[in-house]
Amino acid sequence: MPSAPSSPRRAAIVGANRIPFARSNGAYARASNQDMLTAALDGLVARFGLAGERLGEVASGAVLKHSRDFNLTREAVLGSRLSAATPTYDLQQACGTSLQTTLQVANKIALGQIESGVASGVDTTSDAPIEVNDDLRRVLLAANRAKSTAGVVKALAGLRPGQIVPEIPANKEPRTGMSMGEHAAQTAAAWGISRTAQDEITVASHQHLAAAYDRGFFDDLLTPYLGLTKDNNLRADSTLEGLAKLKPVFRPAGYPDTEATMTAANSTPLTDGAATVLLASDEWAAERNLPVLAHFVDAETAAVDYVHGDEGLLMAPTYAVPRLLERNGLTLQDFDFYEFHEAFASTILATFAAWEDPIFCKERLGLDGPLGTFDKTKLNVAGSSLATGHPFAATGARIVPTLAKLLHEKSQRDGTAGRGLISICAAGGQGVVAILEA
Amino acid sequence: MTAQPPPVAPLARVETLDAAPTLGVLYGRALLTARSGGTTLPDRRLELAGVRIDADAVADYDHVCGFSVGGVVPPTYPHMLAFPLQMRLMTDREFPLPAPGMVHLRNVITQVRPPEVGEPLRVAVHADRLAAHPKGAQVDLVTAVTDVDGAEIWGSRSTYFVRGAPAPEGADDAASREPEPHVGRLPHAIWTVPGDIGRRYAAVSGDVNPIHVNGLAAKAFGMPGTIAHGMWTKARALAALAGRHGPAFTVDVVFKAPVRAPSKAYFHTARADRGWDAKLVSPKGRDHLLLTLREA
Repeated sequence: MPSAPSSPRRAAIVGANRIPFARSNGAYARASNQDMLTAALDGLVARFGLAGERLGEVASGAVLKHSRDFNLTREAVLGSRLSAATPTYDLQQACGTSLQTTLQVANKIALGQIESGVASGVDTTSDAPIEVNDDLRRVLLAANRAKSTAGVVKALAGLRPGQIVPEIPANKEPRTGMSMGEHAAQTAAAWGISRTAQDEITVASHQHLAAAYDRGFFDDLLTPYLGLTKDNNLRADSTLEGLAKLKPVFRPAGYPDTEATMTAANSTPLTDGAATVLLASDEWAAERNLPVLAHFVDAETAAVDYVHGDEGLLMAPTYAVPRLLERNGLTLQDFDFYEFHEAFASTILATFAAWEDPIFCKERLGLDGPLGTFDKTKLNVAGSSLATGHPFAATGARIVPTLAKLLHEKSQRDGTAGRGLISICAAGGQGVVAILEA
Repeated sequence: MTAQPPPVAPLARVETLDAAPTLGVLYGRALLTARSGGTTLPDRRLELAGVRIDADAVADYDHVCGFSVGGVVPPTYPHMLAFPLQMRLMTDREFPLPAPGMVHLRNVITQVRPPEVGEPLRVAVHADRLAAHPKGAQVDLVTAVTDVDGAEIWGSRSTYFVRGAPAPEGADDAASREPEPHVGRLPHAIWTVPGDIGRRYAAVSGDVNPIHVNGLAAKAFGMPGTIAHGMWTKARALAALAGRHGPAFTVDVVFKAPVRAPSKAYFHTARADRGWDAKLVSPKGRDHLLLTLREA
């Protein structure tokens, strides 16, 4: 083992494996989070010859989680071909989960605390936990606490027929009672994001993803699962005219006169899937003759107060990126690729609009001038969440290797270094952004 | 339990109760008791000493209203201690207005500090300002909660309205100016008001006013159907502002159009100088609740 370096080194992104993403209640309807995570890990083990290997750690997480899955990642690793001596932990930061696990693993590698690790995430909206409603739960727990038979009987006397109705997790912010789509619709209305602009982002996402599949880009990033060989939300023949016919699904509360612009196509669908990324020190990769696709440079996490309307729910990356740029002495224009998680097409368009607005940039971001715009032909060039789907916690671990491979391809092709920016917004008004270089 | 009133009372009679009255019994009695029909308020002040806030009862209240269990006692919670005394006052035969069907119009709470669970408190209530209302009569019920040192730590003034009730002539000038919250047009939260919220809040508050728990009774009292308790809407609004203000403040709420159960409502909030403004509005734009909170 090399001794811990005196200054942080950069963690290498070695490779990745994910399973194709499946629309909710479809191909993966009967697979659990643990099933999917185990499958994705075993694919990674097979690809990089890691059977029996003790890695530094595996960090994963899921947004929708059964209480029995408290040790989800540990259970998946114990059922995988990795060494059972590989430690694990679960982390949850909504849609930012697996970019945050990437950050955790990369930081430990950078500090020399570990030499290798897997960052991942998984989510199912099909095999979602169903809970008994609060009333029934409280009655049953009170009966469980009772110390005498009479106490149990007294507690159970609180049972009522209406308590049978179960609670199914809803995609709602607890403090606002609004779905993520309703929040995004308010932000879209506030920034005047047009339907056409959203549909253009959507068509590009599908076309870019289809082209990436066609050129074999995902051949070494993905393993088939339960009969799927590619993301089944992909509509390669998606057109602006076709999308224009769809009815809006989210209306912006408080903007009764504003046209609703968000449809089932320019919003991500509920999706099932799992994704993993292998990170390591350069030395660990070299010892095993494994490639280094790119390095993890830096990351920033931001949060905004959306509860009382100070900022839109999904706008935290708008704040995170300028902080990350300043710390690294970069401008928004200094990147070869931009990987922006398309929670909703309108979300990334609102972010771009905010960065071009001098008042917003001065008053909210504390900048002297607007952050500006960038070359949109570099945006999500291999498709993003609108086309692939978005199993919440798995999205970061889909994007990191996509960008790492794009940067690797560029450096192989041009012989020059490249740099990419990742941005992911998350429920609860949070956002994670990161820089990779190759 | 209470002393018989003397024929003439030059000063407010203070009557100290041994225990909080039972509200269901009081409502039942109110339904059966004929009113005095007068237009003057009884000159009485009811007190209950050695009241202690029970942690389990607060937890039940927290669950229904959305506060965190084990945090500070909610600023609306002392109303739970005062309400039985208010009802006791209002269901006595000498009280001029009938309690069943009474509608809460306004509630102003001034908190000096939050009460602690288990600390001995003295709760005192009296009626004040019987006045004409365009459609009947209104009356204020005033509460003071004092600690063991005799310092008032919490006070409230609730204004109730009774449709068609008699009132003294031209006495509507006593009320102070209503709160005027300034909020943006964008709601920051959408409330889903459960259909059984009246029963739920009645279970934790003891306020079994039929307009909240029974659809037919609610209609009999001129309501469109069961309506949420005003104090539940105020509690929920304050729960949404928990952690965003200090311990000493005045929170003034006017209850406008009743909130039907079930229904959806839009909650608007805005920071104000030394506090918060908030509004609860129906999806069609009718005001349900106007709130201002100003820190001391």
